[in-house]
Amino acid sequence: MAETLFYALALAAVGFAVGVISARSPMLSVLSLLGAFVCLALVYLLAGFQFLAGAQVLVYAGAIMVLFLFVVMLLNLADLSKVAEHPTRVLGVHRVALAGGSAALLGVLALLASRRIPDTAADTAMLARGFDELEPIAVALFSRYLLPFEAASLLLLATMVAVLVLAKRARAPQGPREQAQAVDAHGDARGDASDAARELEGAGLR
Amino acid sequence: MNVPHAHLLALAAVLFGLGCLGFLLRRNAIIVLASIELMLNAANLAFLTGSRMHSSAAQPSLEGPIFALFVILIAAAEAAVGLALVIALYRLKRTAELDSSSELRG
Repeated sequence: MAETLFYALALAAVGFAVGVISARSPMLSVLSLLGAFVCLALVYLLAGFQFLAGAQVLVYAGAIMVLFLFVVMLLNLADLSKVAEHPTRVLGVHRVALAGGSAALLGVLALLASRRIPDTAADTAMLARGFDELEPIAVALFSRYLLPFEAASLLLLATMVAVLVLAKRARAPQGPREQAQAVDAHGDARGDASDAARELEGAGLR
Repeated sequence: MNVPHAHLLALAAVLFGLGCLGFLLRRNAIIVLASIELMLNAANLAFLTGSRMHSSAAQPSLEGPIFALFVILIAAAEAAVGLALVIALYRLKRTAELDSSSELRG
């Protein structure tokens, strides 16, 4: 029963992955990615990793997906007229077939290569209580892996600062000197307001 | 679940291959980032399979889950920075097509 469910989930995950790379609009691609994440979380659960399945749903399907959807909505990339300008950039049917064929070939190669892997049947006692119990993981995280753990916290802090700096709007010139420089760069001694009015006038004449 | 480890590894390989192809073939920055997330997920599945292979009731192997946890963390940081870069690119070029920024191609 669980085995059948695993193969069904694996097929669904591969289908969603094909959807990610072949979708026309970024929106559909990101939604397919959500499906692939959920399928993989269920696979983790079946394989006996309860904690990782929960972390996958919380972090990937929750936080990262919200970030992706937020940016897609913000940029309004579903504008199909822009896609139409670059017909070669959208994957055609033959390219999808090529991608699927290559991936299937990779899977067959992996199957052939992993024949040497000794297939020890999973310990039934381990399966019942799960491979990633929370307590041993927590103990290991705060003893043996303490340095990577602290480094990860530093990385998250640095990421937060970096994202704020990157996404911040470029500062408009504020001081009188900077404003003068901006006007000089524009090659016009007149003020911004009259400049804008002239541009509007020109647009109206055309 | 008593699926051979080879099948779990094959699923990871197929997902990684698909993510790799999406990364190489697509030109939309958001889809490229989604492909990277797919590849990181496939790596996670391989880590967990490795942990499953080397675990026994007497000596559970925790390296797999802990590595997967760190990979999830790195993926979150990478997605945040990558999407901020996409926003900056869009502000500059009014598009998220990666071919629009080829100033450094030489």
